[in-house]
Amino acid sequence: MKRKRVLVVEDEARIRRFLRSSLEDADFRVEETALGQTALSLAGSQPPDIVLLDLGLPDMDGLEVLKRIREWSPVPVIIISARGQEADKIAGLDAGADDYLTKPFAVGELLARVRVALRHAARKGDEAPALYEVTGLKVDLALRRVWAAGAEVHLSPIQYKVLSVLVRNAGKVVTHKQLLREAWGEDSEAGPESVRIFVHQLRHKIEPNPVRPKFLKNEPGVGYRLLAED
Amino acid sequence: MSDMALSSTTKNYLWSLGAVAVATALSFGMYSRFELSNIIMVFLLCVAFVATLGERGPVALASLLSVAIFDICFVPPRGSFAVADPQYAFTFAVMLVVALLISGMALRLRRQAETAKTLERRTAAMHALSRQLASLRGVNTLLNAATRYIGEVFDSEVLALLPDEDGKLQVRAGKPEGFAPNEKERSTAQWVYDLGQIAGKGTGTLPFVDALYVPMLGSAGPIGALRVKAAEPERILIPDQLRLLESFSQQTALALEVDRLEEKSRKSEIEIEAERMRSSLLSSVSHDLRTPLATIVGSASGILEKGETVGESTRELAQGIYDEGVALERLVHNLLQATRIEAGALKLNREPCSIEEVLGAALNRLDPVLGSRPVHARLPEDLPLVSIDAAVYEQVFVNLIENAAKYTPPDAAIEIAGSVQGGHVQLEVCDSGRGLTRDEIKNAFTRFYRSESGEAVSGTGLGLTICRGIVEAHGGKIWVENRPEGGAAFRFTIPLGRTAAPPGERA
Repeated sequence: MKRKRVLVVEDEARIRRFLRSSLEDADFRVEETALGQTALSLAGSQPPDIVLLDLGLPDMDGLEVLKRIREWSPVPVIIISARGQEADKIAGLDAGADDYLTKPFAVGELLARVRVALRHAARKGDEAPALYEVTGLKVDLALRRVWAAGAEVHLSPIQYKVLSVLVRNAGKVVTHKQLLREAWGEDSEAGPESVRIFVHQLRHKIEPNPVRPKFLKNEPGVGYRLLAED
Repeated sequence: MSDMALSSTTKNYLWSLGAVAVATALSFGMYSRFELSNIIMVFLLCVAFVATLGERGPVALASLLSVAIFDICFVPPRGSFAVADPQYAFTFAVMLVVALLISGMALRLRRQAETAKTLERRTAAMHALSRQLASLRGVNTLLNAATRYIGEVFDSEVLALLPDEDGKLQVRAGKPEGFAPNEKERSTAQWVYDLGQIAGKGTGTLPFVDALYVPMLGSAGPIGALRVKAAEPERILIPDQLRLLESFSQQTALALEVDRLEEKSRKSEIEIEAERMRSSLLSSVSHDLRTPLATIVGSASGILEKGETVGESTRELAQGIYDEGVALERLVHNLLQATRIEAGALKLNREPCSIEEVLGAALNRLDPVLGSRPVHARLPEDLPLVSIDAAVYEQVFVNLIENAAKYTPPDAAIEIAGSVQGGHVQLEVCDSGRGLTRDEIKNAFTRFYRSESGEAVSGTGLGLTICRGIVEAHGGKIWVENRPEGGAAFRFTIPLGRTAAPPGERA
């Protein structure tokens, strides 16, 4: 199979170095640049399979680069940000980024998120799979049935809707706003509390230990992430 | 004025006599060649001249004398005072009326001129004071200059009194010798300040003191008082002078106000500048540390990803680098957070959050530190959502749980519990270690406090300080107690706001 191409947009050379090294080790082809403008032209002329985009670029706002790419390409984008910049992460995710990484991050985490993003991108063309299964949790989207620790679990309609949004984005982060929009609808008057309340209920139904969740992880200030299938 | 000089009235009378004498002499000279009707003009001229002096007495005298002399010397029968022709009574009457008219006008003119001069003098004096005060800064400098100037202008000893923090007037400028701050003086001064009106010696209010008290009226009311002890007290009570004194007092008050406002504006400019510098320093330090840390953590983890292709010992070294990199990042974050809290620059983005979720994220982050240690969390099902910044609050749990892990043996359990108490949620992180000494309980949350127990524990002593900063920034309280069953209990509260909805069944 042809190697996947990664476009790394990052202004610090030292960070680009270990990214290139680790990505090439994982059998990716790496294109790198330190400038937003160059990134835009490379993304257009030699379309990559995935983009790693640092938000703190010297020549233009990383968010702006993301928005421009999204104008003509659905290529998966993972934004790289810093700790304490939750607002930036949410802005990026709302503007169409698929996931994010917080510096400093481990290469393992990076590769996991890259793989999840590529998998979801590949699926967009075909039908989303009807079955989600990890150890301890199984969700059948066709039959609308859920099993936790082998036993079937009964969910209310909204609880199920929330879970199905998370399942369809398994492995990727889902912001509160996105969850609200996809589970309740665009015109719903439900507030941010609703999301918290129903995720809480869901967690208590599917997690063996709700306080130390294995499947439904919370990323404070950003959103939720359902465990990816391997 | 010296007793030797003549009063102006006397002078005017002399002028009047002199003028009549001159007119008489002239008339005698003209008598042979001029008609009587023209000679009377000379006397009219003389009376008009005396009228310009502006005093009625001399004018009346001149008129009377002129008519009498004209009648005696020139009107037939000459040498006698008989008014042969009653026409001359008419002449006299007209002459007198004209003279009085002229003198009246002259008087008015002179008064206007004097008023204008007085006004000009007052304006000049106020201008001079204003110019002096405008170039000065500082309450004391201003008051010293004002009291000195006012003292010179009014030939007085002037004291300026301003209220202290309790509202009592204290002398702030002027020479206080000779001023006995007895009860009467003090209460008069206070009255003047409280009511904004003049009182004291020579006035109708509280006159039994040694000086005049004038309020210093600012733009929003009295800001103090002036004590004016004049060498000649009656002089300053003349309405004109009093008005001038009040104007000076008000000018001084306004100058003080302007000075105060400038001071405030300068201070706030300094604060804004300091805040800008601090904020830019924080963000530049934060940014400069980020890249090296990211490179260390990233590269070390990159080596670990190579798995079996590198030797075991290499992987162990890489793991060490990775772990320390992560620990260093946490340390740097703590330092920066503590700095922000100290500077009051902690920005909170509050949302309704689930405590269980925040705790879950903290436990996830501390997974490598906790390992197989038993951690029991007991949060009630219906614990309400709280309005907090989840990303910031996570650190409270992280720091408390990490602390518990650091100070207790690796198999000692950590317990976390929560409950609703009145208007807030109370949470606790408890360990089963040795508990805290009294000294430690008192100082646990102090910056850089490390217990004297001699245990070899890493850390900067900022963790608990940060917890307190975050808890208090959210409107809560944090404290520590020893548990009866042994170990320490760190307890903190989060106030409940409008989002008190428990996450019970809704659909």
